[in-house]
Amino acid sequence: MELISRYIYAVTQKLPEKQRAEIEKELRGLIEDMLEVRTHGGSPSPKEVEDVLAELGNPSEMADRYRGSKRYLIGPGLFASYITVLRIVWTAIGIALGVMFMIESFMDPTNILDHFIDGIVSIVIGLMQGFAWVTVVFGVIEYTGAQKAKGKNAEQVWKPSDLPQLPDNKSRISPAEPIASIIFSVLFVVLFSYSIDLLGVWRFAGGDRMVIPFFNTDVFNRFLPYIWFFLAVSILKEIMKLNTRRWTTRLVGMEISVTILYLILATFMFWDPVIWNADFMQQAVDSGLVTAGSEGYNTVNTIWGRATNGIIYLIGLVSVIQVISLIVTAYRHKS
Amino acid sequence: MDIQETIQSLTQELRRGTLVLSVLSQLSEPQYGYSLVSILEEKGLSIDPGTLYPLMRRLEKQELLVSSWDTNEARPRKYYQLSESGKQVYQHLRQEWASLAEGVNRLMDGGEGYGAY
Repeated sequence: MELISRYIYAVTQKLPEKQRAEIEKELRGLIEDMLEVRTHGGSPSPKEVEDVLAELGNPSEMADRYRGSKRYLIGPGLFASYITVLRIVWTAIGIALGVMFMIESFMDPTNILDHFIDGIVSIVIGLMQGFAWVTVVFGVIEYTGAQKAKGKNAEQVWKPSDLPQLPDNKSRISPAEPIASIIFSVLFVVLFSYSIDLLGVWRFAGGDRMVIPFFNTDVFNRFLPYIWFFLAVSILKEIMKLNTRRWTTRLVGMEISVTILYLILATFMFWDPVIWNADFMQQAVDSGLVTAGSEGYNTVNTIWGRATNGIIYLIGLVSVIQVISLIVTAYRHKS
Repeated sequence: MDIQETIQSLTQELRRGTLVLSVLSQLSEPQYGYSLVSILEEKGLSIDPGTLYPLMRRLEKQELLVSSWDTNEARPRKYYQLSESGKQVYQHLRQEWASLAEGVNRLMDGGEGYGAY
């Protein structure tokens, strides 16, 4: 009799909770009816129970029939793109972490074995992370797509005019561009998250290698969640590009939004100069890069001051140019 | 795939289309799932209970059947019966079936080619 309960459980656990109790009652009744026919009212042997359950068939198929549709984390319609994106993300992570490993070995060649082991570990973890994120994103797309399909009724009839345009040469996006963007985004995630202090002026004196970082690591790290969010959005945008492979109004809109998001993030980060390494000049002197009071010192000091104050305007200018060129792109492809 | 398998899967497909009609035809009187299985079997149309039970639930959701639980007997049973709209739908399907069967028969019996072999 335990077998019957196990069978019913195997069916109902794959069904929506609201329906479980009733379907359980119904199934139990059915199984008892089927047994009764076989035993003519006597108590059934284990063999007879097994026969009846075998006749009812695989519980997952039974649950599928009750549900009326198969359930997918990532359905057949999305699976091909899922594999493509996963491959790109994995390649990007592999390259990014490989580059990190090379930089670290270059900086500190004495501990190359440690770096190698660290590198292997972080590649394994990185690949798993990438897998998890891509799967989550596609799972969400599948789920929302399935919900949409459910809500779609006869009033939204497909029309031949809904057919996507054939990509012509001027609106086609070569896949290399989004792939390179994704690789760089992942590289930035790794660089910003683990090794922001590597971003700076490198100096090799004698056998020593040292870096004078541009940023104040503590302050910079406070912005990390926003940076991650931004990079996630822009990777998502690149994935969309990879899927459509041509410029559409929607894609241009997305691209403009990402640029504006970037501008906002940059403004927030660079508004307050505490993000910069306050001891930059001091460290430059200590490392022997420049001598305090010399002409070189003054030049570097001026450049450093102008760069840290001016970067926000530079980013603003670049963003505006990019938005304008995107709008031009959009207009050109409209006509 | 060998030919037996092909025949089997095509037959199944053919039968699947007639299931709803068979079920609706027997439900002017209330029946519970397993009694319907027996009735259909008696009339030469065996149906797998694992298919019939989910089907009846779906038809109820589409408001072609109404159900009520009978808890007076030894074991509680869910009885299904045609609803008003179910009756209408059944009448339509019945006509559709008649003209479909007639049309297909005419195709197979008459005309040229391999029709009648």
